[in-house]
Amino acid sequence: MTVISENKYISPNSVEQAVSAAVEHKGSYRYIAGGTDVMVNKFQGNDTADLLIDLTGIQGLKEILKTDTHIIIGALTTLEELQNQQLLATHFPMLPEAAKSVASPTIRKSATLGGNLLCENRCIFYNQSEWWREAAGRCLKCNGDICLASGGNKYCYSKFVSDIAVVLISLNAEIEIINEHETSVIPLETIYSGDGINPVLLPKTSIIKSIYIPLIDGNRSAFKKLRKRETLDFTSLTTSLTIKNSGSVRIVLGGAHAKPVIVDGSVEDDLEVLFSQVVSNTRIIENDTYSRSYRKDMIRVFLKRSFVELNSKSPYSITGSNEPQK
Amino acid sequence: MQQINLKINNKQYHFLVSAHEMLSHVIREKAGLTGTKIGCEQGSCGACTVLLNNVAVLSCITPAVRCDNAEITTIEALAKDGKLHKLQEKFVEKGAIQCGFCTPGMVMTALSLAPNLNKEAGIDSMKQEIKEGLSGNLCRCTGYTKVIAAVAEYALELNVTRNSDIISENNTNCPKSAVGTPRPYIEAQKKVRGAAEYADDISTRNALHCKFLRSIYPHARIENIDVSEALKLPGVHFISTGIEIPVTFGVLPISQDETAMAVNKVRYIGEIVAAVAADTEEIAVEACSLIKVKYSVLKEFLTIDESLDDAGEDEKIHEYGKFNNNIHKKAELRFGDQQQGLREAEVTTKMSFEFDGINHGFTEPHAATAYWDENGLTITTATQVPHYLHRALAKVMEVPLSRVRVIKPYLGGGFGGKSDPFAHEMIIAHLARKTGRPVRVRLSREEVFLTNHGRHPSKMTVEMGISKDGFLQVLDADIAIDGGAYGSFGVVTSYYNGVLLQAPYKLSNFGFRTYRVYTNKPQCGAMRGHGAVNSRFAVESLIDDLAHKIQMDPCELRMQNFLDSNSLTVGQYRITSNGSRESLQKVMEQSHWKERIGKMEKGKGLGVACGFFISGSALPIIWNELPQSVVHLKLDFDGRVLVTSGSSDIGQGSDTMLAIIVSEVLGLSIDNIFVLGADTLLTPVDFGSYSSRVTFMAGNAAKDAAGNLKKEIIQSIVTKFEINPDELNFHDNRIFTNDKTIDLSWMEAVDILMAKRGAVSVSGKYISPKLGGDFKGAGAGLSPSYSFGAVIAEVDVDTDTGQVKVTNIWGAHDCGKALNPLAVQGQLEGSWHMGLGQAISEQMKYYKGLLFNNNFLEYKIPTSLDTPDIHANIIETIDPEGPFGAKEAGEGAIHPVIPAIANAIYKAVGVRITKLPVNPEDILAMMKLQKTSGGNSK
Repeated sequence: MTVISENKYISPNSVEQAVSAAVEHKGSYRYIAGGTDVMVNKFQGNDTADLLIDLTGIQGLKEILKTDTHIIIGALTTLEELQNQQLLATHFPMLPEAAKSVASPTIRKSATLGGNLLCENRCIFYNQSEWWREAAGRCLKCNGDICLASGGNKYCYSKFVSDIAVVLISLNAEIEIINEHETSVIPLETIYSGDGINPVLLPKTSIIKSIYIPLIDGNRSAFKKLRKRETLDFTSLTTSLTIKNSGSVRIVLGGAHAKPVIVDGSVEDDLEVLFSQVVSNTRIIENDTYSRSYRKDMIRVFLKRSFVELNSKSPYSITGSNEPQK
Repeated sequence: MQQINLKINNKQYHFLVSAHEMLSHVIREKAGLTGTKIGCEQGSCGACTVLLNNVAVLSCITPAVRCDNAEITTIEALAKDGKLHKLQEKFVEKGAIQCGFCTPGMVMTALSLAPNLNKEAGIDSMKQEIKEGLSGNLCRCTGYTKVIAAVAEYALELNVTRNSDIISENNTNCPKSAVGTPRPYIEAQKKVRGAAEYADDISTRNALHCKFLRSIYPHARIENIDVSEALKLPGVHFISTGIEIPVTFGVLPISQDETAMAVNKVRYIGEIVAAVAADTEEIAVEACSLIKVKYSVLKEFLTIDESLDDAGEDEKIHEYGKFNNNIHKKAELRFGDQQQGLREAEVTTKMSFEFDGINHGFTEPHAATAYWDENGLTITTATQVPHYLHRALAKVMEVPLSRVRVIKPYLGGGFGGKSDPFAHEMIIAHLARKTGRPVRVRLSREEVFLTNHGRHPSKMTVEMGISKDGFLQVLDADIAIDGGAYGSFGVVTSYYNGVLLQAPYKLSNFGFRTYRVYTNKPQCGAMRGHGAVNSRFAVESLIDDLAHKIQMDPCELRMQNFLDSNSLTVGQYRITSNGSRESLQKVMEQSHWKERIGKMEKGKGLGVACGFFISGSALPIIWNELPQSVVHLKLDFDGRVLVTSGSSDIGQGSDTMLAIIVSEVLGLSIDNIFVLGADTLLTPVDFGSYSSRVTFMAGNAAKDAAGNLKKEIIQSIVTKFEINPDELNFHDNRIFTNDKTIDLSWMEAVDILMAKRGAVSVSGKYISPKLGGDFKGAGAGLSPSYSFGAVIAEVDVDTDTGQVKVTNIWGAHDCGKALNPLAVQGQLEGSWHMGLGQAISEQMKYYKGLLFNNNFLEYKIPTSLDTPDIHANIIETIDPEGPFGAKEAGEGAIHPVIPAIANAIYKAVGVRITKLPVNPEDILAMMKLQKTSGGNSK
């Protein structure tokens, strides 16, 4: 921390202005929307960007639109709005449910969809104060030599924690991004690297503008989240299961790797084989309130329950899981 | 720096702020609106909630620059024209305010929530919505019950016009009887308006800010501390290290083992090594980072087992003790013969338990300001025990007792965690003396966790025996508790773990042995239910097991083993009033125990447990012959009675309790009574708010004082009118004879008393009777009276995930007499909520001596959504020695709730819980084991 602060905070009016401010800035910068994740990381000294580029003043990124083929959600839509949107509840009931499971009600008034998708990966050895990390001996993710959580790994498996990304990926959502080079629309899952240190692959100046969710008839989805308390807590394991009319199955997991874990299958598959495939794709380490083995065990429990729920439900009648999440 | 315009509460402000400054900082430090509180600084507690353009935000994670040209509404804006907002009124009226620290944030959240509630869906559904809506605002006092009730009632009345306000200013209408009438705290309005000043709210001009450099090693020699670079930083005034303040202190005279900062060596990660006083907090932080410390690392001792063992060649944590290990204290008492008892008992059971440490989790972080002037040292600090701090400061600062003044402002919860003299208090006193300036300090939430003094991690093996017809024969407990790096209350904790098992059941063969060890971790001390919470858990679990083994209803078993009123325990505790049976009966009825037990589907269960606790320790911590409590009353020409007492209202409502007692004795309405508490210069000594002593002891002193004032008034009237003193009644602000030949208003009586004399001051005191046996250790746990209680909990265990959901808590507590039933309910609900936390989610987890979960995101206090309906029942037994029959209500209730939950889990899935917090993984593993071994679960 410097005493005579050279910190800056700007609030551009357009995406273009925001991107060019980022390009022009010589030091480090960080886009913020709700800021509910970034400001805590700043408080703990994990984010040292001197320029904060506040995107919340940008118009046109807060709308939710329905076209013939898609529902398009502006990246600055707050989680509270996602939670309360009738349009979403009708077409993708799992999405409001996931939004409601994030953080606390007050945080959801500020936190945005885009921010949630780009929420920094978490680890109990990383989300700590500067003093703490020094006392612990600095992990890989904060410039140390080894992963403390695994007791020596050279690879960082900090936890991917966006619950909404899990749901969106299971719905085959795409995102529209803009950076100094281009504007493009890409599948959401392609932005996650799996590297816990730099979990997002996008060029650093990129801003997510909106999310495109294809309208496909006959999807049935179930969402589950493991955490100690029914509110506030980040996920220890998030699962979403989507069964499509075609009979194809998409399973997406959060909190089980440095990136979302995605497994595609079919209703014809042997579930045990499918689950084994899911579990073998995870990289769960001891970096959470719950133990590694428990989180692994819960994958099967959650997915089994999801299948049971969906088999008893007809397409589009889904109101999401009513299981108490404990 | 950037210029911003803020409209806060309709007033325009222009501030120069740093680019990454938080809104909470601007509101508190620049606009001076301290109603907005800082509890965690990381958006996880909700205390800082304000409205930004009418939307609730967490101001501690909202950048101030973002709010340029915005409208901010803080708690201070709600009351208008001298009248509370209707929502605030509901908070007051329903008793939703205890310490009041979370209140402003809670009110702001509720304000934005209420209009959106679905009032048509029925009250239960709306309450669930409220639980959800408030679930980002942590409260440690209330268990949320009364908060939810307040918001629900406000929402229901939102669109209803009311003729009159329910709350009249200060409750001017004098009820028939002050004692027993539910009433909000006398300071509730101040708290709900955000006007009550807590330690960090009080601004002292020219104060320097203090920050600490803390050890990053659990056990190490300090080779060298180089402060030269830090001293060069502009704005740094003084840097202090341990060697400057070497005088040891500690709350117990026998454990004066702590220094203000580490001297020569550090004993835990987080121990203070150096302190900086600077112009701003930021400069002080920067200076700390420039201090270079050279350590040489010593072997650390982190677990009970390591510390019980011989230390070998390694250096012990303290020199203390004859043996080459890290045992701090061994306590042992035996009555009857446990071995013989076990041999003769028809059925026995033996189990081992492990408990993680837990933290008080009060929402207000420690904060204090100290300065010196011609009167010596004055410190305003968040403390439960001004008296012991007074003594410790005099000792460490090496000044006479007459040169120290300790002031307790409003306190944001304590639960035992503010009842030691603390290092930061010694340090700022020292820095203030060195710099000649006031020095203020506020600990971060991480520092609060490192300061700890919470419940000891414990291990114990307990054995009990019973006859086939269900009479307890024997109890033997072998206990080890992990004290962390220093003594604190640990010697008392060691005894309490054992001695507080000798009730509420009759036992003739009873014995225990407790070891307290030092480890290289933050120190443990006293926390709500002090000492006996974990061992009570063990015993109540064993009783449940015995009931199962002899196939007896665990409620019936307990019923037939309870001690009687007016009896002695095996260790010679004098039991006076005892509401155990009534308490258990009550919760059995409410939960429909008889109809439901044994008939519930797999995964669901009811469990029961009982407990008891002291109403104040009969013996003082520091041996002396002072009364336990003294209360002064002053009556002057204006008719107002000033009550001064050294006791600390820490949010439990003790100031209100004092006013109620004086009101009752004098028949005087509460608005004529003014309570001045906890300022060691102005108020007579009371030992402080610990061991559940204040209602019993300060209450009795207040009653004595009010009686003495009454005598003075009677004497003056008798002299004037020549009547018999026995004829006078004091009631409803009047003093009159039965035939009304004399019928004086309070002011007329005051004039008579004051004539040719002026203001009258009287004193009252409480001295505990001589109690107990004359064996060594007989004094531990002695109390003039004991509280009793019972809890039945209902759980729903998910048999696939092992997750436990507590769905109901029915509790009953014998508090003798509820002087203020609203406050007593609040204490009970808060106790059961805190117990719920220890049972299912709270634990202090360490990585090589470094605390993992030092914030409110990772230290998991149950939110409103995690808290079931709590059904509180007050049992009144009218204690012969308590003031108007009252006993304690603040701590005892926590004892039964935790084992009741565990016993309910046993009923639900046949798994005996032997580790806290309950771990779903263990439940699954044990269920699996049962299946494979064919074990019975019925």
